[in-house]
Amino acid sequence: MEQKKDIRKLSSVLRSVSKPGRYTGGEFGEVIKEKSNVKARFAFCFPDTYEIGMSNLGMRILYGLLNEQPDIWCERAFTPWVDMEEKLREYNIPLTTLESGDPLGEFDIVGFSLQYELCYTNVLNMLSLANIPLRAADRGEGTPIIIGGGPCTYNPEPLSDFFDCFAIGEGEELIIEFTRLYIEMKESGEYTRASFLRRAAATVGGIYVPSLYEVSYNADGTIREYAPACGAIPPRVRRRVVSDLDAAYFPRRLVMPYIETVHDRIMLEIARGCIRGCRFCQSGMVCRPMRERSPELLCGQARALFEATGYDEISLSSLSVSDYTRLPELTGRLLDWTDEHMVSLSLPSLRVDSFSVELMEKAASVRTSALTFAPEAGTQRLRDVINKNVTEEDILRAAKAAFGFGKTSVKLYFMQGLPTETLEDLDGIAAVARAVVGEYYRSPGRPKGRRPTVTVSVSNFIPKPFTPFQWEAQDSPELLREKQEYLKYKLGDRNIRYQYHDVGTSHVEAVLARGDRRLSAALELACQKGFHFDAWDEHFDYGRWLEVFECAGIDPSFYANREYQPDEVLPWDIIDAGVTKKFLWRERERAYQGKTTLNCRQSCSGCGANRLATGLCRPCGGASETD
Amino acid sequence: MKLTEKNIRATVPRVVRIKFIKVGSLQYISHLDLQRTMARVLARTKIPVWYTEGFNPHIKLVFAVPLAVGVESICEFLDIRITGDISCEEIVERVNAGLTSELRVIEAYYPETRFSDIEAADYIYKIKTVGAGYELADRIKRFLTTPPVMVTRKTKSGERDVDIAQAISRLVVSYSKAEGGIEMTARLPAGSRLSINPALPLDALRSRGLALAGDITKESYSIMRVRLLFADGREFK
Repeated sequence: MEQKKDIRKLSSVLRSVSKPGRYTGGEFGEVIKEKSNVKARFAFCFPDTYEIGMSNLGMRILYGLLNEQPDIWCERAFTPWVDMEEKLREYNIPLTTLESGDPLGEFDIVGFSLQYELCYTNVLNMLSLANIPLRAADRGEGTPIIIGGGPCTYNPEPLSDFFDCFAIGEGEELIIEFTRLYIEMKESGEYTRASFLRRAAATVGGIYVPSLYEVSYNADGTIREYAPACGAIPPRVRRRVVSDLDAAYFPRRLVMPYIETVHDRIMLEIARGCIRGCRFCQSGMVCRPMRERSPELLCGQARALFEATGYDEISLSSLSVSDYTRLPELTGRLLDWTDEHMVSLSLPSLRVDSFSVELMEKAASVRTSALTFAPEAGTQRLRDVINKNVTEEDILRAAKAAFGFGKTSVKLYFMQGLPTETLEDLDGIAAVARAVVGEYYRSPGRPKGRRPTVTVSVSNFIPKPFTPFQWEAQDSPELLREKQEYLKYKLGDRNIRYQYHDVGTSHVEAVLARGDRRLSAALELACQKGFHFDAWDEHFDYGRWLEVFECAGIDPSFYANREYQPDEVLPWDIIDAGVTKKFLWRERERAYQGKTTLNCRQSCSGCGANRLATGLCRPCGGASETD
Repeated sequence: MKLTEKNIRATVPRVVRIKFIKVGSLQYISHLDLQRTMARVLARTKIPVWYTEGFNPHIKLVFAVPLAVGVESICEFLDIRITGDISCEEIVERVNAGLTSELRVIEAYYPETRFSDIEAADYIYKIKTVGAGYELADRIKRFLTTPPVMVTRKTKSGERDVDIAQAISRLVVSYSKAEGGIEMTARLPAGSRLSINPALPLDALRSRGLALAGDITKESYSIMRVRLLFADGREFK
């Protein structure tokens, strides 16, 4: 008999909350196993709502992969929305998975996907709702192993007191090795939490066990050193990569949500990594080098997924879709059958060039979600500083093509507060936006009597670990707000819509992004005070965050608004993401000289990512360098 | 071209009615979500359905009477238009391969009736509540059959008061010793003219303190739609 949860237990609660479909499970494609036949039960937790978590490609992959193992059962859990949380707390119901309905505390391994810093309070809240001790040090033998993975683990330090371990890098191989080791040690009777974590740290590449490293600090508050507890564990934990994407696991069936999710479609991961090297971009640096899947394989995967799901939309996914070398071939192959089956193809982050315009004309089923373009900075000087190799002519040519195709709205993404920024750069944002508006009025084919909508979305620069700007100070909240006011004034135009990000949110994000272990005191306090859903504007309260920092004895400006020193031990130095510190510093110096760096296909910049596995960088092979 | 039954069927979309159940977890899935789910199921099970011919082609689906969230049903109906040569038995088999045990097709057939003639539905309630017994069953029966029993009904055009006692055209209330709860069958208006949410009688009981007014972890209920009916009381098919 398969063990599925009994939904009746929760029925009265489900009837009293919004969107109960978030909590019921029971979807087509959900995996139910017999408990007595599995040796390890894995709870995959996504610290945000069901709709967001179910759209995550990593979750789709790891859920499928783990459940492909007959003796492992992977189930899902999400953060209950605030109304559900209230009910769970009111009636003392522990947080459970969707599949079996068992509390998280009964699992062998509880894994969290850490996608953005502002979800940290949700992670702690989920542990608390599951009655699992927040701090790893307080967990007894009966409690699950808590592991974290995903982009935020490139600096996991603020969370390190709460996690037993982290999985650094791409998880496909690592998570299986880790869970297998768990099963082996359980079966041989050698398992204790401590012995397992120690052996995982020593033998499973990419596993970082923070409690095995002692951190000491200098008098000025910076880190003195990380000292490994024993010689068997690596002095730095190296990121795992999958060297052959064509050979990597890919799910051929999916859990089909009944309720609408954010990305309710087939996501075809065409490549990992990026050749561009924008100096503010963490993904572009920590996912290096770029690896592509072959069009033949992708086409087969798309077809298999369409047949397994019935989705009517396929979206190509990668950091920069237009850098995929065989894009015309891939889209051509896909369009061969998608039109006939009423499936549409969507191409996010597309560069609007002649190829894309041709593509749009060729196939009625190609959807380009509102045309977006990301110049990131307003002047060529600053675009050179950040190594965003886009010129104003590129932007205007793209806008012209879009307007020529009958589009009336364009969205432009910028950042404010970038290193070396001056008022001219902010003026430049307005100038670019106005030039795009001008392009519309010059376009002969524009619809008569209609005005264009040029949306200018300006986010705040946040220095991120493993980028050439990792040492930079973020502008003070006051300065960022002033800049926003300035832009609001400069962008006053009825054809331009100005959007900006909350400064408080960006400030807290910067603190968490570059924080160290001492931040755990603040996070624990935030959890006790009931913080949750900080990535949601309606639940984020900057004032309360400042109070929490103060109570915990944390100066947020030490992390967000201080320039880190070149010889300083950085909290994330314990991680080896591939790119070397030397390379990042070299890129920082080039930034200040206004020098751009060629992309990976034009010339190897010796970033160091090729050390992660042999044959990763093709065709050049890459110049090798170590830290 | 010689006219045969087969090639006519291949050119003209033909309406097939699907009768299905929606129970368990699926009671929490809204009508809108069900529509999207069914369209995907038909696509993934390769049923040759007709697509609208507009700018944005989509599968045409017509449901009988939308079911409220939190209500289960063993009598849901959906009309689809089939373009290819496929038997009703094969439709049932294929569609079920793309569904779960909680959302399942019972039969498919060429319909001879119209959804617009549906007037009412029967619902079975199972109520676990404090004080459940023969006496409570009697009190509930008396209360719900003695007008007026006013409850507030939320509609698209705002809130409106409705007399539930008048709306219920048939009512059976009993106490099940085996299940330790009240069992109730009620007939309520359902259809394109007027639909009454089957949760409203429970709201009335709750507001009067007769049932379900206490601890929601100890008290519970389920509502199951068991049949749809024509105006004359015949069961809809």
